[in-house]
Amino acid sequence: MSIIDLTSMGEPQSDLRKELNDRLTKLQDEISDYCFQCAKCTSGCESHKLLELEPHKIVALLKRGLLNELVNSDVIWTCMTCLKCRERCPQRVAPVEILFALKNMAVASGKQIPGKYTGMLQSILSMGLIQDIQQTTTRTNKTLKRDELGLPPLSKPIDVVKFQAGIMKIAMEKV
Amino acid sequence: MKKKYSLFPGCLMPTEQYAYELSIRETLPLLGVELVDVEGFSCCGEPMKSVNQLLTVYLSARNLAIAEKHHLDVFAPCAMCHLALTECQHILEENPAMKERINGMLAAEGLQYTVKRQVVHTVDLLYDQVGIEKIKEHVKKPLNGLKIAAHYGCHIIRPSEIGRPDDSENPQKIEAILKVLGAEPVNYPQKLDCCGAPLLANLPESALTKTGQKLQAIQEQGIQGMVDVCPWCHKMFDSRQTKAGETVAAKLDVPVLYLTQLLGLAMGISGEKLGLELNLSPVEKLQLGDVK
Amino acid sequence: MRRIGVFVCHCGINIAQTVDVEALSEYASHLNGVVVAKHYKYMCSDVGATLIKDTIKEFKLDGVVIASCSPRMHEHTFRRVANDGGVNPYRVEISNIREQCSWAHSNKEQATEKAKYLVRSAVSKALSLEPLKPSTLKVIPEALVIGGGIAGIQTSLDLADDGFKVHLVEREPSIGGHMAQLDKTFPTLDCSSCILTPKMMEVANHENIELLSYSEVASIEGSIGNYTVKIRKKPRYVDVDKCTGCGDCATACRLKDRIVSEFNQGMGKRGAAYMPFPQAVPLKYVIDDKKCLFLTKGKCGDEPLCKKACAPGAINFDQKEEIIERKVGAIVVATGYDVMDPTAVYEYGYEVSPDVITTLEMERLISSSGPTKGEILRPSNQQKPKSVTFILCVGSRDETQCTWCCRIGCMTALKQVYLLREKLGEDVEINVCYNDLRSFGKGYEEFYRKVRGLHTNMFRGRPSEVRTMKEYLKIDIFDTTTNKLFEIKTDMVVLVPAMMPRTDATEFARLLHLTLSGDGFFLEAHPKLRPVDTFVNGIFIAGCCQAPKDIQDTVSQASAAASRAATILSQEELEIDPLIAMVDEDVCTGCGICVEVCPYEARTLNERKRIAEVNDALCTGCGGCIAACPSNASIHKNFTKKQLLNMVDDIM
Repeated sequence: MSIIDLTSMGEPQSDLRKELNDRLTKLQDEISDYCFQCAKCTSGCESHKLLELEPHKIVALLKRGLLNELVNSDVIWTCMTCLKCRERCPQRVAPVEILFALKNMAVASGKQIPGKYTGMLQSILSMGLIQDIQQTTTRTNKTLKRDELGLPPLSKPIDVVKFQAGIMKIAMEKV
Repeated sequence: MKKKYSLFPGCLMPTEQYAYELSIRETLPLLGVELVDVEGFSCCGEPMKSVNQLLTVYLSARNLAIAEKHHLDVFAPCAMCHLALTECQHILEENPAMKERINGMLAAEGLQYTVKRQVVHTVDLLYDQVGIEKIKEHVKKPLNGLKIAAHYGCHIIRPSEIGRPDDSENPQKIEAILKVLGAEPVNYPQKLDCCGAPLLANLPESALTKTGQKLQAIQEQGIQGMVDVCPWCHKMFDSRQTKAGETVAAKLDVPVLYLTQLLGLAMGISGEKLGLELNLSPVEKLQLGDVK
Repeated sequence: MRRIGVFVCHCGINIAQTVDVEALSEYASHLNGVVVAKHYKYMCSDVGATLIKDTIKEFKLDGVVIASCSPRMHEHTFRRVANDGGVNPYRVEISNIREQCSWAHSNKEQATEKAKYLVRSAVSKALSLEPLKPSTLKVIPEALVIGGGIAGIQTSLDLADDGFKVHLVEREPSIGGHMAQLDKTFPTLDCSSCILTPKMMEVANHENIELLSYSEVASIEGSIGNYTVKIRKKPRYVDVDKCTGCGDCATACRLKDRIVSEFNQGMGKRGAAYMPFPQAVPLKYVIDDKKCLFLTKGKCGDEPLCKKACAPGAINFDQKEEIIERKVGAIVVATGYDVMDPTAVYEYGYEVSPDVITTLEMERLISSSGPTKGEILRPSNQQKPKSVTFILCVGSRDETQCTWCCRIGCMTALKQVYLLREKLGEDVEINVCYNDLRSFGKGYEEFYRKVRGLHTNMFRGRPSEVRTMKEYLKIDIFDTTTNKLFEIKTDMVVLVPAMMPRTDATEFARLLHLTLSGDGFFLEAHPKLRPVDTFVNGIFIAGCCQAPKDIQDTVSQASAAASRAATILSQEELEIDPLIAMVDEDVCTGCGICVEVCPYEARTLNERKRIAEVNDALCTGCGGCIAACPSNASIHKNFTKKQLLNMVDDIM
């Protein structure tokens, strides 16, 4: 019949849950349904002490279908992607991958992408890498660039137009 | 037998972490590894995973396809790149529909992913391909029992189910290499902890706190120095060490080197050639060769 | 002059760290009558036993005192050792310096002093111990099994296959018990009746089994090896020799489909003439004397329709209750459990809404032989439910109801979730409100994982109440995995009720002199080492009458009980412990008080000699008659007043 979260009066978003599960199945063969809330993930979470990320709670909310709440939260962007949760989960659930999928869904839904991700994406689009050659400072406060150190030219996409076309195509598609 | 790999530089190493690239290019050819520079590589896609996973898979597949075009195996010295490429292989091998889809897109650039080629990282390249014996032969200036902490970085040891260069819970390959260089690898409880780098994009303060906490722990245990094997980790531990110290209210002075730098020094190569002048942590404390 | 040896055990450090064993041994060696005293690390070990035996021979001992742990632990061991060494086993006295001294105290000096007193008094008793010889008793190689559920069935078959005659008493018209009511069994999803029916048939056809269905135990006398059992056979009003099981009586009955069916847990109806379920064993009809119009009112229309319909003439309203007697050597009690009545947890609405049911009721809905032929229909409107919600631990793990875990609730619920998903399809919402999910058996955790993958909404928490709304049931549940309060609107609620001792367990225990544990289930002699024995020799327990358990554990326990019973039945004679009561015929006045107090009917009055006597086979040595005897004629062998007073004197 129905289940309602009485705090927010929200009902489970089963369609979103299905979308996320599909995504995970395609990429990691991951089935979050098996989580039994042992919280081993949160016990070892690198982000938990600093940023209060609770991977087990993320999975619990996902299992309950409360996707909107998750997609709209800032906490999904606190994952350090150390992968300990995925490595150590006794039920082969991978909270880190669930978080990636949630962040992707947030981006796809038009939510503001935090931090420097947009800049990196633009850089990839324009030259293939997240950043161009940087000037670096030595111990003696000299500034140096790649070529001054005798390193060969940077490897990057040759035909940028074709490369961009490929990426634009991806941006239009769902996993 | 000579080993031949295309050097997949990724983004961070060739655009700012020059010391890693310099030390790799100095040491590995001497150990019988031929590094081939290939044109046209792009970002591995891992930094975009939070934004669009499909883009990550696509970019990795693209880079693998370029290597495939040149009939070369891949050496990815960056832990993030290595994970992205390996995971991409895993997905494409397990999911034929995805493989077809990605190949459809790659066709625009005249590329195809068909076979799973070997993808190695610095650690398994040195330990499994070159081998400890061979490294031993090239050690000219042993490190005199220097107490060194190994930092593996999350992405080269996890997740084990897709195959990683070393064990996820008890990696020992760097230690084995350190031993043969004459150093004394130190076991420390924080060994498997993250450097914090993946948060640089959106939560730099927290990222640096993570860095600071790990370095502080190492410092408190009286360990003389640290080696790492990833440009992201190194950026945190070496390039940003002073800033990281501020986040934990500590004056940090832990010498941090790339494993390949320490390897080069033990092989008798000059600090200059190995890019030691680019290390911002107090590497001079180690009193190695001509390092100032 | 007697020659006593004292042996002090260190019990590793259990005794030695609190009692100075060397000093104690030295002290004991100087006691009157003691010719040698020794101490050793583990007296109960092979080395210790050899030490005792060798010392007996070397010093020509005629009595032994062992200062060690409680006699409950090793008295038997040391009696055997003494016997092997050549000392009468009843001339062994145990001084308990562990439980009664070293474990109870911490001051070594004082504990050592106390140990000296204890050993001194044991020596004084040892000096006056009589050599005794056990008498023997012929064993009747037949068994009584009480209860015809899966436990009783398994025990009966095992014993019958061993070649022993078995009398299986079942109070219901058919054997099968609760298992017969189940549709499938976890975790393998074997069809319950498919695996049970063959065993029931085997019971019916086994040449060594006498099936006494619709019967109850009226009384039990005697003791291990030789029990006399009186069994009350209730009248079926159907001559089982003539009944063919055709069912014409049931079809004809005026009350057809008007009486609540116990077997279907009230989910279906039957008549006064009925067969509890299609696979019943024996496959004979029965007439319910509490409901039958003819039996209750003396009139059923012009004539009882069942009688008219029965072609073989099997209906017999003149049948009377019958008492029969059987003699057996061992008894296995397998009387099962009751399901807690969920109205005890009133807030869950069992009494308020017909759509709140129990797992056993759901089991009958799922079963293809049930009232809905296996269709899951909401009781209030006979429609397919769109949402089903399970509430676990109803009355279990509850200090106000049953403190224990029912051990089958979690798995039963998971199994039903699986079957409901199979029957109702993907669209139906299934919710499970649980506290902990206990899936401890072989293959259980794997089954739980499988069910988690079936889009089951698992809520970790216990709802406070179930509200009966106009169209649906409403449950508020605080889910501790998400830390959120959810409102569930659902069509049906399935309660997983606690498992309880039978309502007549206390009464039944008295009949057999069994002990109950605090929870009201029958108490085993030792939870680890004698799990199917009781404190009454020759009576064993199996299945849920001992404690809640699943079918796997029940069957294992049933086979264990059969094997323990066979240990007795396979012997021609049994030794009877001589440490029992005797009568000093010169002193006895024949007052008969001992006969009255004896709970084991071991005391009788010899009218001719005007004295009381002891039946050695029945006496357990409880001491009741000794305390009650006004003339000191009742004597407990080797626990005489003189012996005990000597001990007290030595301690004082």
